[in-house]
Amino acid sequence: MTTQLPTTVLATTHAVPIDDGARLHATVRGSDDAPVTVVLAHGWTLSQGSWDDVADALADDVAEGAVRLVRYDQRGHGRSTWGSVDEVSIDLLGEDLAAVLATLAPTGPVVLGGHSMGGMTIMALAGAHPELIGDRVRGVAFVDTSAGELSKPPRNAAERLQERLLPVVGAWAVRHGRRVEGWRRRVPPSSARHQAVVRGLLYGTDATDAMVRRGADLISASSVRSFVAFWPALGAHDKAEALVELGTIPVEVLVGDGDKLTPVRHSGKLAEAIPTARLQIVSGCGHMLPQERPDLVTEALQRLVTAAR
Amino acid sequence: MTSTLESQPQSAPQVREVRVAVIGSGFAGLGMAIRLREQGIEDVVVLERGPDVGGTWRDNTYPGAACDVQSNLYSFSFAPNPDWPRTYSEQPEILAYLKGVAAGYDVLRQHVFGADVTAAHWDAGAKRWLVQTSRGEFSARVLVSAAGALADPSYPDIPGIEDFAGTVMHSARWDSTHDLAGERVAVIGTGASAIQVVPAIQPVVDSVTVYQRTPPWVIPRGDRPTTSFERSLYRRLPGVQKAVRGVLYAGREFLAVGITKNPRFLAPVQKLARTHLERQVRDPQVRATLAPDYTIGCKRILISNDWYPAVTAPNAEVVNAGIAEIRPHSVVTRDGVERPTDTLVLATGFQVTDLPIAHKITGKDGRTLAEVWADGMATNRGSTVAGFPNLFLLVGPNVGVGHTSMVYMIESQVAYVGNALQAMDDEDLITLETTQAAQDAYRALIAERSAGTVWLEGGCGSWYLDEHGHNTTLWPDFTFRFRALTRTLDRDNYVGTTA
Repeated sequence: MTTQLPTTVLATTHAVPIDDGARLHATVRGSDDAPVTVVLAHGWTLSQGSWDDVADALADDVAEGAVRLVRYDQRGHGRSTWGSVDEVSIDLLGEDLAAVLATLAPTGPVVLGGHSMGGMTIMALAGAHPELIGDRVRGVAFVDTSAGELSKPPRNAAERLQERLLPVVGAWAVRHGRRVEGWRRRVPPSSARHQAVVRGLLYGTDATDAMVRRGADLISASSVRSFVAFWPALGAHDKAEALVELGTIPVEVLVGDGDKLTPVRHSGKLAEAIPTARLQIVSGCGHMLPQERPDLVTEALQRLVTAAR
Repeated sequence: MTSTLESQPQSAPQVREVRVAVIGSGFAGLGMAIRLREQGIEDVVVLERGPDVGGTWRDNTYPGAACDVQSNLYSFSFAPNPDWPRTYSEQPEILAYLKGVAAGYDVLRQHVFGADVTAAHWDAGAKRWLVQTSRGEFSARVLVSAAGALADPSYPDIPGIEDFAGTVMHSARWDSTHDLAGERVAVIGTGASAIQVVPAIQPVVDSVTVYQRTPPWVIPRGDRPTTSFERSLYRRLPGVQKAVRGVLYAGREFLAVGITKNPRFLAPVQKLARTHLERQVRDPQVRATLAPDYTIGCKRILISNDWYPAVTAPNAEVVNAGIAEIRPHSVVTRDGVERPTDTLVLATGFQVTDLPIAHKITGKDGRTLAEVWADGMATNRGSTVAGFPNLFLLVGPNVGVGHTSMVYMIESQVAYVGNALQAMDDEDLITLETTQAAQDAYRALIAERSAGTVWLEGGCGSWYLDEHGHNTTLWPDFTFRFRALTRTLDRDNYVGTTA
């Protein structure tokens, strides 16, 4: 009668409370006794679901008790709430990550993985809490990310106008969220037009339709507000100085050669600034390596886990 | 020794003789008692196993318990309440209403509380029902079972559940002294109780995991506090409230077209539910977990504005992988995932297709109702059974409704039973029993009307259907058709005997 399950994997769901009232949705897989905790931070307008393929690839390590896996939705993304802040910033996301660590991985070695805005989040953590690096944080994987200079100063009148207009349009879109959501629903992620845009912007030449569809689904789950509120935060992001803190631990840097949002040179700068970094430029890929090449991302994390034990 | 015992004065078991014994004092039992009083039948006892009136609305005290039908419709037609505080009332208000009605119509003195019926036998010699209860024996000329269908909780048969070391609560047996704050709570089931209890507990618990078998269709709940203007209007002009009730009744009866006649007419309702899901759940993956794959109405249509927000809250999770086993401190699903759990909430409904009361009632030929019903519950007009003279069932087989107020069906049945007792009076009958032919014909009618209903055609398994896949619980037509069928006693379908 009783189905004997040889091995089971512990799973818990958490709402990590933040001082400003935000509650971050986090999921934990694996035993508290595992020697290393891997914490993954996702990118702009995505959610922890963007790490699904990597989590699947790590499932055996988790089942064997070698790794404990923590994933969370960044503030204003997925199931996490906004809290009472007026303006979001990458620094705020860094503090959120610090709170996730304090709540869900208060002791023991930790390996951090950050995709895009999630990578910036880790840089913010390193800048604000250098004492964590080395002692608690034993390794970092930066996937398709950047230390700054994502927005160029306007070069002509048209760009200046665009720079002035964008916040106005954004604020309008948030205020009229319902209407904008209606427009978004007219071109759902299942439509070819929608997928073509997502593919062109985010994916490399080797990406399958299934990858694009899943990414489109994830992004469509994001609210108008998360698009608008985090855009200036990404532009203002500048953590070149914080990279110094990471020079004492192993760092993996991965980027797709066709990444249009955080092009290869951004990862090149990371690898230059961090002497312990190892850089991989993956051909045929874009900005979505956790989906496009979960194997490479997982192997990088596994190398960090091995070094962290 | 023997002589000593024999010489001791035996406290002879007192058998109380009554004309009518009613089992249960929910909406049905109270409605019956009130009808009998108005008909001049005073020699009545209401056997209630609980400590008070209210039935389902006394037992279901879980947080968030409320009615899915507007209170203006979900109330006795003869006892309108102008003071309902909301469109859809919550359990405490409905219970208070029932208590008020019981007191106002002075039927409480007929009640014996704490009287759990353990057996009822037809005494062919005396031509009376002998009813054994935990509060003594009763001999009744007529037995009315108003035990209801949502009376006895259904407990899931999951390996290891008896070894669970934390707290286990059925939604219908809620322990309000147990504090869920900060606990990891597992809720089993996604039916009408679950979608009310989860939003109520989600804000206080550490985490809530909902174990789902089949997702329900959920439509928006148009609930609001009633205004003082409405209340004073209803008080001064009861006709207005009556008219509102009529409009609500008619509106809900339109649903019956789609549910019982042609599921195509449910398409707009399904679209409404689909839009509700898409508006409230953004993530397509989560949406897929919560999206039903059967026609709306096949299972009970649920109404809620806070179910989807609750199950997509930061501390919530819906799990589709079935439960493999329960361990002392965790729930394990078939995919090998183990979730630490402090409290287990069983929102697993009631024993509906195998009514426990049917195992306790024994008829003319020595067989219980349950034995007679082994191949499916069958009755005449949901109320009487061949071989069980002078027995009337309220809220019995094929009387249930999912789309409108159960009270309407109860009042139809109560009038039917009242008319039957009147006929017994008029003809000096001491027994009245429906014929097998009438019962067979009624069963055929139910089967014929059930064919083509969304319950059978909608592609789902539900508590509406019995183990043979037959509809033995719901009325498969407009409710006014049931009222027409039960308006007068179908005397030709009955055999009466005089003394």
